[in-house]
Amino acid sequence: MSRFRSIISRVVVLHLVAIGVTSILMPLALYWLLNQAANGLLRDALLGQATTVASFLRPGPDGRLRLELPPDLKPLYSDGYGLYGYAVLDAAGKVLFSSRGDGAALFTPEEAARGDWVMRRRAAGSVLFGVSVARPVDERVYWIQVGQDLYHRDVIIDDIVSSFLPRVAWITFPILLVLLLIDIVIFRRALAPVREASTTAAAIGPMRTDIRLPQDTMPAEIAPLVDAVNQAFDRLEAGLQAQRDFTADMAHELRTPLAILRARVDTLEPSALRDELRRDLANMTRTVNQVLDIAELEAFVVPDDACADLQAVCVDVVTFMAPLAVAQSRTIALTGSDLPVWVRGHPEALFRAVRNLVENALRHAPVDGLVDVEVTAPGSVRVLDDGPGVPDAERQSIFRRFWRRDRTSAESRGLGLAIVARVAETHGGSVSVDNRPGGGAAFTLSLQPAAGPPAAS
Amino acid sequence: MRVLLVEDNGELVALLKKGLAQAGFDADAVGNAADADHAIATMRYAAIVLDRGLPDDDGLKVLREMRRRGDAAPVLVLTARDGVSDRVTGLREGADDYLAKPFAMEELVARLQALLRRPGNLLGKRLSFGNVALDVEARQVIVASVVRSFPARETAVLEILLRRGGNVAPKRLFEDQLFGLSGDVGSNAIEVYVHRLRKLLDDAGASVRIHTVRGVGYLMMEDKGG
Repeated sequence: MSRFRSIISRVVVLHLVAIGVTSILMPLALYWLLNQAANGLLRDALLGQATTVASFLRPGPDGRLRLELPPDLKPLYSDGYGLYGYAVLDAAGKVLFSSRGDGAALFTPEEAARGDWVMRRRAAGSVLFGVSVARPVDERVYWIQVGQDLYHRDVIIDDIVSSFLPRVAWITFPILLVLLLIDIVIFRRALAPVREASTTAAAIGPMRTDIRLPQDTMPAEIAPLVDAVNQAFDRLEAGLQAQRDFTADMAHELRTPLAILRARVDTLEPSALRDELRRDLANMTRTVNQVLDIAELEAFVVPDDACADLQAVCVDVVTFMAPLAVAQSRTIALTGSDLPVWVRGHPEALFRAVRNLVENALRHAPVDGLVDVEVTAPGSVRVLDDGPGVPDAERQSIFRRFWRRDRTSAESRGLGLAIVARVAETHGGSVSVDNRPGGGAAFTLSLQPAAGPPAAS
Repeated sequence: MRVLLVEDNGELVALLKKGLAQAGFDADAVGNAADADHAIATMRYAAIVLDRGLPDDDGLKVLREMRRRGDAAPVLVLTARDGVSDRVTGLREGADDYLAKPFAMEELVARLQALLRRPGNLLGKRLSFGNVALDVEARQVIVASVVRSFPARETAVLEILLRRGGNVAPKRLFEDQLFGLSGDVGSNAIEVYVHRLRKLLDDAGASVRIHTVRGVGYLMMEDKGG
């Protein structure tokens, strides 16, 4: 059954098999039943004839039995007509009267004893159908045999039976086909809510955990499945919420002691040790922040209708990063579009993505180097540096968590680009890196263009 | 100058109070939202440093409540949950600035001073950065303790840069302030005034330098060499 995945196709296939079997068996069954009925009628008719023949048996004055058939009955049993025949036997099996020219019995006594009616195939190929009835006359029992030659098919009931198959039986096939079409329509209607639910279910993902499948319109057989699926979604949503709560709690638990530590270090007298502690604290804070960002982005949801101006985001990033860039003797610039570039996205998440790209670029740009943030419609931002660039072999791996080219360096925890990749993923976008022709790396963050906010806001 | 510190961690409160005192602030401290509501309603503070994670409520509720009463005192929100989704909410609720834990004491002091330096606030009369200062009312520039007289537009550019000292002042701000809504601003008009101001400051021996952040604005930083 695995080849037929849809319920409709399974119904059609099974139904076709059923049609095949039914269209063979049903005419056969009807034919058999009709034959039975025809045989029954025939037997009753022959029994009647046997009784009629018996009624003309009279005991003669000499003690011998006589058969006095009226003249209008005689031709019926004549050899010339050939359709009917009779024979009268005594209890010993001796033929007393016979319509046949040779004066023989229609059936042998053994055949007649098998029942009150028998069938016999004659040598000529015709079929003799007959009954054998016992009748007492003058306290002696005689056997009256009456037969009909079915080779002469002039009996109307026989004609009906024999013409049933070619003329009537074929109608069952189109009727069954029409039934199949009706079934398909019925199934399609019955399954419509299931198809709708499937469409709804397809929309559910980590991005949209608030949707539930409709239960009211569902057929009773499928309702438990839908209920189970909805419960699974409830658990998924609860799980994501628990992770969000955990991230928020963890942020508080990690950052508050860091804040105390930082404030305490700030109260120290200026010294080389204080500066070192501050540097260490800054590195640790950075790592904690990045780990928290990664954790939060795991359960992060970008609403379908969320839109952000990528140009404004980049203005914010450059504004935010410029003091650091200048302090590190690097130049930072924003180029590209001056107009809003609307994309589907969450402004703060995009801010963090672009900020991480800029931090990465600043780390790799040489002293007096330039980091260029270039926004282009319809929805991409490139961050260019004039550092050493990224070797071909590392173009994929640099986006992995905790990946570092130089494991001995304490500065980078290798999470920044992983955050960028995760933000791109949550937004249905992508991030990639190329080397610039003149040297340096070019990171491209591509997002889905959006229509911008509704005019009212 | 009296500020209110709303923070539940006693250890952090003690350290912050000490740091703020060194910067010339007199800080009152409360440890929960209910006390904060009460203190803000009864006392007049120059500024409020408000932690979001209070034991009885979200600090943003305190902020919303005071804004609802029409209290416009500058509020700097502190948060330990600097998450992607909660960063924006703080500013949207009417906070004037936002600082994520952990932070440097100097940063907190600088942000508070920046809030108080805003027009109409207490520190608005005299702006300073490095060895450069501006008396906003007298329009006098003081470089290395010597009073100078700069042309009006260069002084206006300096004022914007001083108010944002250490942070980028966006281009649009110069356009709005220098030329108002009247007429077109030549594409390099601002660059021209900035260039002139750079020369004036250099000649006067200023310890600050104005950096161009192309596409965004200008940034005044203390010169590392000087």
